[in-house]
Amino acid sequence: MEYFLSEEQKIIKKLAKRISDEYVSKVAIKYDKEGIFPRDILDLLAYTELTGVYIPKEYGGFGGGVMEMCLVVEELSRNCAGVAVSYAATALGVYPIILYGKEEQKRKYLPKIAKGELIAAFALTEADAGSDVSSIKTTAEKKGDYYILNGSKHWITNGGEADVYVVFAVTDKSKGPRGISAFIVERGYEGFYCGKKEDKMGIRASSTTELIFEDCKVHKENLLGREGTGFIIAMKTFDRTRPGVAAMAVGIAQGAYEHAVRYAKERVQFGQPLSSFQAIQHMLADMYINIEAARAMLYSTCRMIDSGAKDFSKESSACKVFASDVAMKVTTDAVQMLGGNGYVKDYPVEKMMRDAKVTQIFEGANQIQRNIIASEIIKEY
Amino acid sequence: MKILVCIKQVVDPEKVEYNAQTKTIKRNAQHLMNNPADLSALEFALRIKDVYKDVHITTLSMGPAECESKIKELIEVGCDSCVLLSDKRLAGSDAYSTAYALAKAIEKLGNFDLILCGESSLDGETSIVPPQIAEYLNIPHIAFASNIKVLDLQRIEVERKSKNLLFKFEVKLPALISVKKDRAFLRLPKLSLMIKALSYTPQILSLDDLENFDFDKVGTEGSKTLVDEFVEQKLEEVKCEIYEGLEAAQIDCIADLVMRFL
Ligand SMILES: Cc1cc2nc3c(=O)[nH]c(=O)nc-3n(C[C@H](O)[C@H](O)[C@H](O)COP(=O)(O)OP(=O)(O)OC[C@H]3O[C@@H](n4cnc5c(N)ncnc54)[C@H](O)[C@@H]3O)c2cc1C
Repeated sequence: MEYFLSEEQKIIKKLAKRISDEYVSKVAIKYDKEGIFPRDILDLLAYTELTGVYIPKEYGGFGGGVMEMCLVVEELSRNCAGVAVSYAATALGVYPIILYGKEEQKRKYLPKIAKGELIAAFALTEADAGSDVSSIKTTAEKKGDYYILNGSKHWITNGGEADVYVVFAVTDKSKGPRGISAFIVERGYEGFYCGKKEDKMGIRASSTTELIFEDCKVHKENLLGREGTGFIIAMKTFDRTRPGVAAMAVGIAQGAYEHAVRYAKERVQFGQPLSSFQAIQHMLADMYINIEAARAMLYSTCRMIDSGAKDFSKESSACKVFASDVAMKVTTDAVQMLGGNGYVKDYPVEKMMRDAKVTQIFEGANQIQRNIIASEIIKEY
Repeated sequence: MKILVCIKQVVDPEKVEYNAQTKTIKRNAQHLMNNPADLSALEFALRIKDVYKDVHITTLSMGPAECESKIKELIEVGCDSCVLLSDKRLAGSDAYSTAYALAKAIEKLGNFDLILCGESSLDGETSIVPPQIAEYLNIPHIAFASNIKVLDLQRIEVERKSKNLLFKFEVKLPALISVKKDRAFLRLPKLSLMIKALSYTPQILSLDDLENFDFDKVGTEGSKTLVDEFVEQKLEEVKCEIYEGLEAAQIDCIADLVMRFL
């Protein structure tokens, strides 16, 4: 389908597709099996300048927005969502700085992130604070020019690999969500450690770890925005990065669909290729319809966000929910279409089904997204 | 330092469409690709540019206007300027005529310190053009280089591997070197350069732009050789054998071995 991307967006998509098909496809199964972090692919993305697509021009980036970031994520995900999420997690870690960073903070971090010299991470979730973000317990106590961080974070993508972490901690317990603040914490700060690495079902090339803060001293210059604005920073960041999860979902679904079509045309049963059976044809048609619908919703949400619109939580959540549900359905159907071959690791659709699952869970589980959408709808009418 | 790389646009063997009746190959833009050996030469030029600051890379191609779309790809990897020598009177030129026309274009474009070519083109495979250009320009020439190292701005070191021997040459510039294919794989493009390429048009030269040009030396008339006939070769069907139970690493080793014999 023609999506009327600008010439520049078409180039970004083409370049990301080339890296995905020529490089990511070759390592996807190995990195998944062995849980290898795709630093070599991130280096290629840096060389080709795709690491800076969503970073403003004045900080050395390409000056694109959420759309450009999503085009890269979508194309990488066609071959490996684990690689894609390792790229996308930097965007999740950096959007708070783009949106709320002071000039010095932006100048210090954004150019290096645009060049791919630094990678980032976003640390909000804790063992007892998942969907209920506001109940985080990590504390940041102010002492002179420093904040002293104590506590731990769970499920942090790019944990142990990232150089820069945006960490959320409670600065004033009595204020609930308004008592949360965001800090920039660099790898190597005293009292900041990386904990256990998770053994995941999917996106196994990406690194997901615990982070531990033990009297970790963070200078007050590293406070993002004002004290007490952490919750808003997190929510406004998610509004911009949830389409990234949708892009991942669309990419995974597209990859699975492409494998399924090729397989259906080659595999012969009852003397004819699978693709000649109407039951299979309808599955393929439904895959196509759903993927195109998800992509259309994703791209229009990106365009809305990049146009400078003020409020887009509902749209951002809706495209994440829809695309992730599509990815789950399409990959499950692709496995079905490949029969026994779909269920073993020799063919990539098995991996894609595992990868798809997480898109329904992270950056706010789909149930939570539906809560957000519903509350916006009720406010509107 | 000024480097010139000669890059031919050839018909992609995987996309080639042959008309058995007219015995011609379709040459439209979608079927063209940049000659792989020439891209190896270009990669060497880019590596020199990575190290030395004041390196300017120009590419020179000869062919019909359709080549323009492929020439843009050279800007995407970091070439500074591209020239296309395009003139109907060149149609049918053989290797000798091509070398003459290219040498005349190089003279016109100015003083280059280093001229790089691929060892041969996919569609011609004569390997004659590079040494012939060097003869016309009266500069030293080394063929089938496997590596090039810039010693200083006046001298380069060229390596050539042949079976069990390694030759090392030191050559004074200006010189012309032809590079063996697959010695260096062309790098990926960069986003900013791809955007630059969007609006880039190569400089187009016609024969009228060249000085003291002897028109009798080019085209079908000026060529010393003539293609008598194209015969379509039916490839033998490749037999496939299946080995089961191999580890990925073993498969990689076998793939490497096979590649070495291609
Ligand atoms: C691979 C991976 C990477 C991650 N990366 C990061 C990261 O980089 N940074 C970061 O901060 N976090 C990250 N997360 C955390 C992720 O955002 C959370 O896992 C997610 O928000 C869900 O929280 P939870 O796992 O604690 O589930 P819970 O909150 O315990 O929820 C469990 C289930 O109950 C449902 N549920 C919970 N509350 C409600 C409700 N009110 N109404 C209806 N249903 C509800 C949920 O939908 C879910 O299905 C990552 C998680 C994973 C798995």
